[in-house]
Amino acid sequence: MERKVLVAVAIAVAVVVIIGAYAATVLFRESKGGDVYYLRTAPANMAASLESGSVDAYIAWEPFVSEAVVGGTGEVLMWSDEVMPNHPCCVVAVSNDFIEGADGVELTQRFLKAHIEATEWMLDALEDPDGSNYTLLITLASEFTARNASIVEEALKHLEFRYQVDSQFISALEEFVDLYVETNQTTEEEIQDRGYSSVSDLVERYVNESYLEAAAGIQPSATILNPDDPIRLGYLLGDLHQLAQFVAADDRVLGGSESLFERYGVNVEPAAGAPYANGGIVMDNFAAGNVDIGYLGAPPALIKHIKGGVDVVLVAQANIEGSGLVVEVGSDIQSLEDLVNRTVATPGETSIQHLLLRIALEREGLDLVLKT
Amino acid sequence: MEPVVERLLKEVRARWIELALSMLSLAVFVAAWWTLHWYFEVQGSIYAEYVPSPGSVWDALWGLIDKADPYVGVYILDHVASSLERIALGFVLALALAIPAGLLMGRLRRPHAIGRPIVEVFRPIPPLAWIPIFLIIFGVFIGPVAIVFLGIFFPVLFNVMLGARSVDPTLVDAARTMGASRLALFEKVVFPYTIPYLMTGIKVGLGIGWMCIVAAEMVAAEGGGIGYFILAMAEFSAYEEMYAGMVIIGVLSALTTGVAGLIEGFVYKRMGMD
Repeated sequence: MERKVLVAVAIAVAVVVIIGAYAATVLFRESKGGDVYYLRTAPANMAASLESGSVDAYIAWEPFVSEAVVGGTGEVLMWSDEVMPNHPCCVVAVSNDFIEGADGVELTQRFLKAHIEATEWMLDALEDPDGSNYTLLITLASEFTARNASIVEEALKHLEFRYQVDSQFISALEEFVDLYVETNQTTEEEIQDRGYSSVSDLVERYVNESYLEAAAGIQPSATILNPDDPIRLGYLLGDLHQLAQFVAADDRVLGGSESLFERYGVNVEPAAGAPYANGGIVMDNFAAGNVDIGYLGAPPALIKHIKGGVDVVLVAQANIEGSGLVVEVGSDIQSLEDLVNRTVATPGETSIQHLLLRIALEREGLDLVLKT
Repeated sequence: MEPVVERLLKEVRARWIELALSMLSLAVFVAAWWTLHWYFEVQGSIYAEYVPSPGSVWDALWGLIDKADPYVGVYILDHVASSLERIALGFVLALALAIPAGLLMGRLRRPHAIGRPIVEVFRPIPPLAWIPIFLIIFGVFIGPVAIVFLGIFFPVLFNVMLGARSVDPTLVDAARTMGASRLALFEKVVFPYTIPYLMTGIKVGLGIGWMCIVAAEMVAAEGGGIGYFILAMAEFSAYEEMYAGMVIIGVLSALTTGVAGLIEGFVYKRMGMD
């Protein structure tokens, strides 16, 4: 008798809880029209998720796009430059505390000089696929991303390394912030609370080209400026977009005697915990004082500065373009509209890939919603 | 209705000091929180962002009720429903297995000998350690359920086993003398005796269950849930909403434990144990 009561009560409670939860869900849910679902997935696991069928498509940065293409399991439905030509992607950010610290300005300029040289070295190497530098570039890219040569070789075709801060960069950042305001992820008041009069004022002052301009005049240095106090560098795990810092740190690039960082007299080390999983974490580590200079996607750099007040400044680009939407080979998904009621893996809501997918779907009148 | 009100008033009169102290401790906590925020704000410290004022968290909490957050675009109640669904499933599964297993292991030597080593090996492994592999094996829905299951299973199993073992032998002897069959002995003596232990196990287990689900949702992050919500808000630096999510967990966890307490009281009353 007592046992029956207990079991009955336990089951009744469980049933009430579940039904109540469902009722609340149904009552408060909007009616759904053209929805595309997403799941947050680490890019390194995306190709496997696609293959196992747990998602119907994924959007990621290189080399995780070419990984599926070269592996023969995936094909690209849309490249990110089809959403926004020449869109900014990874940027170089510097902590204002670091700039204001001892030798901060000088170290930033020297670091940027190495960043420029590394980027130009990569661009030159890519020009001549028969050259020895090209072979070395592929080796370095392969080491950095832990992917084989054929994957990185394909991946390098779909992104463009670029350090310059140009008007296209500025206007794209404005477009991102406008979208954040439009979708209520931030507000004009929030931007004003940070001391900016408008979106364009924010972007104009958040991007500081002066260090990059000064870096052009930096000469090789016989001595290291910060031998005991290395620049703590934040970057993302296996993100081919951020190859410049890997190239700048490798002494094979200059023939074996020194790295580009050493040539310009800076001591650079990975920050504690680096490489990080996403740009939001790079920003959190800036805020925690763990990172002096970091490579990360432009959107997290924007949103965490606006909403979290993370005190950094953007000083250069690392690359443009270089992300893609992948579906299975032979998939019946031939257009964005075919994605309705299907599931796409994205690296998370703060990422540029998520943002670009959202923009692309919105143009088709579709919404990107979390799969629950 | 009258007697209820009267009883309540009587209760309040009898225990007003305790009530006042409880209110005061809450008020002091909120005041301390606010002071901390105010201190950071005055210092111009970035920590004012990380410790938002109680008022702004309260506003964020109410703001979440009737509209989807702009970052993930999911209603908070959908997240709560996802989490509750997983907890409820894990809870029911854990009870269904832990109670019989606990009773068997508590009363019978051979099942005890069989079960003990396995339990002793697996019990100290935190359920959270299973997250990575469970998410791969069971997927993003059943995976978190399995984590919750583990979190609730062991406390319930252990308490039931303890209860079943500690049944007063004189009671057992007395029942036997009166000719109780093995089944009747189990139903009338052993099982009722273990109920207080079971209830303790359930209350402990539910607390652990909430911890498990939030952590599992943060790692799995797919399919929503309150843990997902908290992580996503932190990524956007939407700290007010993040704290609001934490408050919701606190309230829900207290509510589920409260419901367990109510059931406990009800069962005790039915069984004449209070």
